[in-house]
Amino acid sequence: MHARFANAPSSHKHKNLRFVDSLKQQAQDYALGTLPKEDAILFEALLEKDEDARNYLIEAQEDCANLSMTVPSSDAGDDLRSRVMESCRPKKDFNPFLDTAEINRLQENYLTPDQRYLGGGASVDMGDVGEQKIQDDLFQVYESLIELFPLVSGDSTAASGDFGSLGNWIGNGVGNGSLLSSHMKEALSHSLSNDEKDPGSRSTQRSLLAALPSLTFFINRVRENSATLADIRRIFYLCRDQLKIMRASFGDLDPSRLADDEKLRLHGAGLLRTKWWGAEHSYFSGNGNVRCGHFFDGPVTERCVEFAEYDSNLYCLANLLSSRTGNGEFHIELLKDAIPGGVLAVAMAETPLESHDEINSIVEGSQANGKIPLRDFALWKLIEDSMLRGHQDTGTDSMRDNPLHGCQRFENGTYLWFAWPNVPNAQDGAEAETGKPLQ
Amino acid sequence: MPRIENEIWSRIKEGDSAAFGELYDGFASAMFSLSLQILNDRWEAEEVIQDVFAYLWRKPDAFSPEKGKFSSWLLVLTRNRSIDRYRSRKRRTDKAENDEILGSRSDPSQKDASAEATASDERAHLCEAFSELPEEQRRVLELSYFKGMNHMEIAELLDLSLGTVKSRIRLGVEKLRYALSSLRI
Repeated sequence: MHARFANAPSSHKHKNLRFVDSLKQQAQDYALGTLPKEDAILFEALLEKDEDARNYLIEAQEDCANLSMTVPSSDAGDDLRSRVMESCRPKKDFNPFLDTAEINRLQENYLTPDQRYLGGGASVDMGDVGEQKIQDDLFQVYESLIELFPLVSGDSTAASGDFGSLGNWIGNGVGNGSLLSSHMKEALSHSLSNDEKDPGSRSTQRSLLAALPSLTFFINRVRENSATLADIRRIFYLCRDQLKIMRASFGDLDPSRLADDEKLRLHGAGLLRTKWWGAEHSYFSGNGNVRCGHFFDGPVTERCVEFAEYDSNLYCLANLLSSRTGNGEFHIELLKDAIPGGVLAVAMAETPLESHDEINSIVEGSQANGKIPLRDFALWKLIEDSMLRGHQDTGTDSMRDNPLHGCQRFENGTYLWFAWPNVPNAQDGAEAETGKPLQ
Repeated sequence: MPRIENEIWSRIKEGDSAAFGELYDGFASAMFSLSLQILNDRWEAEEVIQDVFAYLWRKPDAFSPEKGKFSSWLLVLTRNRSIDRYRSRKRRTDKAENDEILGSRSDPSQKDASAEATASDERAHLCEAFSELPEEQRRVLELSYFKGMNHMEIAELLDLSLGTVKSRIRLGVEKLRYALSSLRI
């Protein structure tokens, strides 16, 4: 107690003891973010002019720091450090790309749809995919991933560095990782051989081509005992996204979880930043390390089911680039102010000219050299379909004249991009926050 | 220590990435431990730390020396962002968790917790002081600081008057402060 008063501001002697106690209490509540909003505003006003208030707040902050130091120590790991240090790397300058004729045309012609797309517009029933065997395969993939998810979540033993349970699951019995590949190959080849506009085939392709190839790659690392904690983290994000993409693709796959995905819940750009920042990504034989811009603070979609579609589009861009990047990395950036009423998602990689030409052939739908896998054409078609759903007032003809997604060569890079409508009437910051004392 | 901290902050303000690395090496472990304690989820705790550092790099002016010690400010920032996430998750899952709240924090008197904390005298001293707090003070501090509950919520949960909750928090905090000041004398 003596120490407390020895450090207390001298001017409080002139104040009523009760007032001092109240001020201290307010400072403590403010530091903890538990002061009601109106009181917090008043307290902030007081901070401007009252030295005692400022000192009590500093004291309260010190108390909080003391409490923080009572928790058991945990190792943050090297992977987190390298991701944090990414903050210091100079960001890719997208401004020259934004000045290109194609983006100028988008800026001039972009129209926000009258009614916002809620997501899930491409959903079909499992019966629509045709053969029972394919349906069973897809269901098996989904069920396997439902089993996998808790094994890689943030409170799992794998997240603590013990991969034993995860390794056992991958190595044993039904639902193991090796089944994923065979299920995937059979179902994919069936869907690609079907009419490309068949909705059931498209849902199958989205389910098998967007996030699953990268997920399979990291699962294989666990099987080969070469996985790191960073890989487990990547499996977690990919598994979560894959499950949502599948639910958004097949309405009767898991109706109760889908109902939750359809609830209004803003999804911020920060979710994409933390997921993609410093990530390794794989698409069949191609691998790339992802570098991200800072993105922006604010929502990109309104619901999980819409976010799943947005995610799927980004995965498709990443897949197209990861196998063709010239230096093993590619950039992802979300630009909020680049087009009026919309958010511009850009994926960019430095590419050899022949790789760019290949991507351009995919975009144009022409099998230029006869070597491009059918699945890569499907990636671009999936984005095209999504653009039409996301901008429901836009027809195919109109989109041809004023593209909402595209591919450009600029300097030594290939830029792939798509536009998505802004979330209307949303203030910056998608997630609720406590007060920010002293920030 | 505050002088060294403020020097690191000044260098970060000038865009010195080496200083940013020094800051991470000096404080990330405490920040991560705190976030993990609150969230009990490694990936979420990593996201918080990544966000806090990215924020600091982009907006170093968010801190100023008039706001107290840099390390304390960082820990409060980490705590509040972790609590934001915890509340957001809690809203989503909407689970009754009265038992879990009190059971989730490891026993501060556990040997391994103290052993890990010996890396820092202050930390060990605070751990010991915290474990020696009367149970009723420790509980309200845990609920308030690590679970982000306000006084009213704690009063309802523990069936106490609002005044009792406030006084227990204040007494607990003062004891920790006193413990630390006695170490520094």
